[in-house]
Amino acid sequence: MGLSLLAPEALAFAAAIPVVILFYLLKRKRQVKLVSSTLLWERFLAETQASKPFQRLRHNWLLVLQLLLVLAVVLALSRPWVPGPGKASKLRIVILDASASMQATDVKPSRFEQARAEALRLVGSLGDVDQMVVLQAGAHTEVKQSATSDKTALRRALAGCAPADAPTRLTEALKLAETLIQNRAEAEIHLFSDGAVPDLSEFENKNLPLVYHCVGRGGRNAGLVALEVRPHPDDPTQRAVFAAVANGSTNPEPVQVELLFEGRLLESRPVTLPATNTLPMVFMAPQDQDGVFTVRLRLEDDLAADNQASIVSLLPQPVKVLLVSRGNRFLEKALKAPGYVQLTVAPALADAAEGFDLVVLDDVYPAVWPAPNLLAIHLAPTNWFASVGTVTGPVIVDWKTTHSLLRFVNFDNVQIAEALKVPTPDWAVPLVESPDTPLVLAGQRQRQRIIWIGFDLLQSTWPLRLSFPIFIANAVEWLNPAASAAAGRMVRAGEPFRWVWAQPVSSAELIGPDGRARPVSCAPGSSELVIGDTARQGIYRLKAGTNEVTFCVNLLDSAESRIDPQPELPLGKYARVTATTMSRAGLELWPGIAAAALGLLLLEWWFYHRRTV
Amino acid sequence: MGALLSAELLRRLEQLQLLAQRRAKSTLKGERRSRARGHSVEFADYRTYAPGDDLRYLDWNLYARLDRLFVKLYEEERELPVRIFLDASESMNFGQPPKFDFARQVAAAIGYVALCGFDRVSVVPFPDLAEIPTPTGNPTAANPGTQHPGLDSETRAQQAAARAALRSVRGKKSAVQFFEHLSLLRAAGPANLNQALRRGALEARQPGLAVVLSDLLDPGGYEAGLKALVGRGFQVDVVQILAPEELDPTTYGDLRLVDSETGAVQEVTFGRFRLKAYHNTVQQFLGRIRQFCAAHRICFFTARSDTDLEELLLKRLRAAEVWA
Repeated sequence: MGLSLLAPEALAFAAAIPVVILFYLLKRKRQVKLVSSTLLWERFLAETQASKPFQRLRHNWLLVLQLLLVLAVVLALSRPWVPGPGKASKLRIVILDASASMQATDVKPSRFEQARAEALRLVGSLGDVDQMVVLQAGAHTEVKQSATSDKTALRRALAGCAPADAPTRLTEALKLAETLIQNRAEAEIHLFSDGAVPDLSEFENKNLPLVYHCVGRGGRNAGLVALEVRPHPDDPTQRAVFAAVANGSTNPEPVQVELLFEGRLLESRPVTLPATNTLPMVFMAPQDQDGVFTVRLRLEDDLAADNQASIVSLLPQPVKVLLVSRGNRFLEKALKAPGYVQLTVAPALADAAEGFDLVVLDDVYPAVWPAPNLLAIHLAPTNWFASVGTVTGPVIVDWKTTHSLLRFVNFDNVQIAEALKVPTPDWAVPLVESPDTPLVLAGQRQRQRIIWIGFDLLQSTWPLRLSFPIFIANAVEWLNPAASAAAGRMVRAGEPFRWVWAQPVSSAELIGPDGRARPVSCAPGSSELVIGDTARQGIYRLKAGTNEVTFCVNLLDSAESRIDPQPELPLGKYARVTATTMSRAGLELWPGIAAAALGLLLLEWWFYHRRTV
Repeated sequence: MGALLSAELLRRLEQLQLLAQRRAKSTLKGERRSRARGHSVEFADYRTYAPGDDLRYLDWNLYARLDRLFVKLYEEERELPVRIFLDASESMNFGQPPKFDFARQVAAAIGYVALCGFDRVSVVPFPDLAEIPTPTGNPTAANPGTQHPGLDSETRAQQAAARAALRSVRGKKSAVQFFEHLSLLRAAGPANLNQALRRGALEARQPGLAVVLSDLLDPGGYEAGLKALVGRGFQVDVVQILAPEELDPTTYGDLRLVDSETGAVQEVTFGRFRLKAYHNTVQQFLGRIRQFCAAHRICFFTARSDTDLEELLLKRLRAAEVWA
């Protein structure tokens, strides 16, 4: 274990040692006293007796103490260090978890501050040739400081980190760190986190040199993990606001849940959250204008970021549907079933159908390709598929019940006489599949939502089944641009918000939850705006001229709301990283030496005092 | 006489008599028994008559019985010469009260007891006047502390007279003058104890009782002088007088100590923590003297200059059988 010096230039202070010795060579001024005889005093001959300005150096404990003191001070100034128990790595990647749960105040002042302090200590222990990289892992991974040995820059970079209301994307940060440590023999990744991270199974076999510094003690927290607003199926003036509140603590938590509309309190409901469980809640509220519903938890817990969530709710507009069909009563009836659909039926399509919200092409090829969202039935010769064939009597083997289009839809008893055989294009997901071909595809192609059904409805038993009108209703909702627009007006913290204006805008400004307006840069001639600055949860307003759009940023992440720190970080099924208490490498010794110097100073003072008083 | 000894003390001292462990060897008549045969009431021996002997001393009873002539011999009573060696060096001026004052008091007491016993008392102050520098002489300009006070010519003459008068005193009636002369003495100059005692031993015509009153703080030592006295046949009593501050120093710090007699400079760093070591040094010094004195059958006393005089004179000296 070798001793190294961080500031070897301080050894120049050793020049003080000859000065101390010089002082001892010089004669000391003494008090003259006449005594009867010096006979009895011979044993007390002073250590520094001299009759000349300079004298021979004598053995003097005071001198020895002072030399030791000077040596200790010089040594402390030169900042020696020894490699600590940890291996001295040449490159260290510091990943600072800046997710919402790091704002928890179970440790004072907060987990993030504690993590930052620990990281700063790590900077302090950095050897003079070691390098460090600072990564801030929030919703995105930011390189706060690229590899450097400059401790000032590293400290500045750490000071510039701030937690966001966003969930952690640790995978991204670890991937970045992994690339940074490639081909570096001695490297360590220091992760400062509370362990509220999503699955890291892709690092299972990477054997990352990961050192996990777990911060946080665990505390009580209840948070909103889901929020949705829907029109009431029976009463169009009512809105159903669905919220799910998770309680992470092991005790039932009484809480007051408030529902606000545009800042106005509509309802306050006292509930008791079951321990370590999620409580779903439904509020019914009237809505007479477009606005924002906010659900707020009234309680004092350790994480404030998840105690409020907002959602934009727009008044339902009639959906204008153009059905291009040679005649399909089942389809017509199913489309008419939702009360808000204004159905227009046409045998053929000659224009882009700009005035409609969605177009249904029922086995009809349009002369002009429609611009709105599209439900295409039995429509094969398009440029969507590389090849098209037919398959007779396909058997439905699978359907995706998790997709919102297939909500409450069942294909148990559906037979199909003949279907088109296509490969699944990359823009779509198969919703219903037979062994040979996907039967129903859904996806988005150049901002146009498309549902493709690969068989003639009338050549199947599906229209006779209950699932058919449900599917059509789901499809209308999914294809309705207003609905998708409303859904798009709520983003998770850290995710970008995208908005397309009706016309190109030259300038826009964004008013964040803190009430401050910031200009937003717009590409010239573009009507699309992407806002990435969504680190804070709350209600944002985007203004461009007279146009204004409101969107909400929410955390709504159950992983972040569970604030109990995880002492182990699972990397997949088998690998895990245990939180370390390993003392930092490169232990600086100067505080101890400085303390010893202080002790020597006191000892010297005591010794001198004892001799003369 | 209140200046040196109180009347009460003098009255009590009158009852004391100096004890001499050896027969007096003086040639002068006194009240002390001696080996010499002479005229007194104390019978000593018989001697065969020789023609020319004083017929008054013939023992007629013996002649009648033995028909032979015998002469009765009587012990001759001689005086006991008491020499008091008084250290009058500069170092004796130190202390509160000064050591020299205390030494003079002891000298006066011993002298008075001797005078009362018809013994001859001579006080030998040392150093000699010739060895004491004049005030202008020998100043070390760099160090004022080393400058000896010395004696001016007027005091010198007075001192010479007093010293001459103290050379030989006898008889109780001389006590008043003895005290006066003693109180005129001044302490000054550097002393050489050995030289003074040796000279005193040589000068004495007959050995007797020698009392040395000194602080014995002589760089040259004391052994040679005391040995000379003992060798000359003196019965030696040594009373060492030390100042309280010599036993318990009260000045601390970085000191430049100047010897009052020699002017020697000694640099000392002294603190309370070294007091014990100093005490040890003093005790070792005293122990060495005590050992030396015991080996040479010298009566040795140590007294602080602030000791109660009566306690020393009437208890310690009596207990040590200096007098009874």
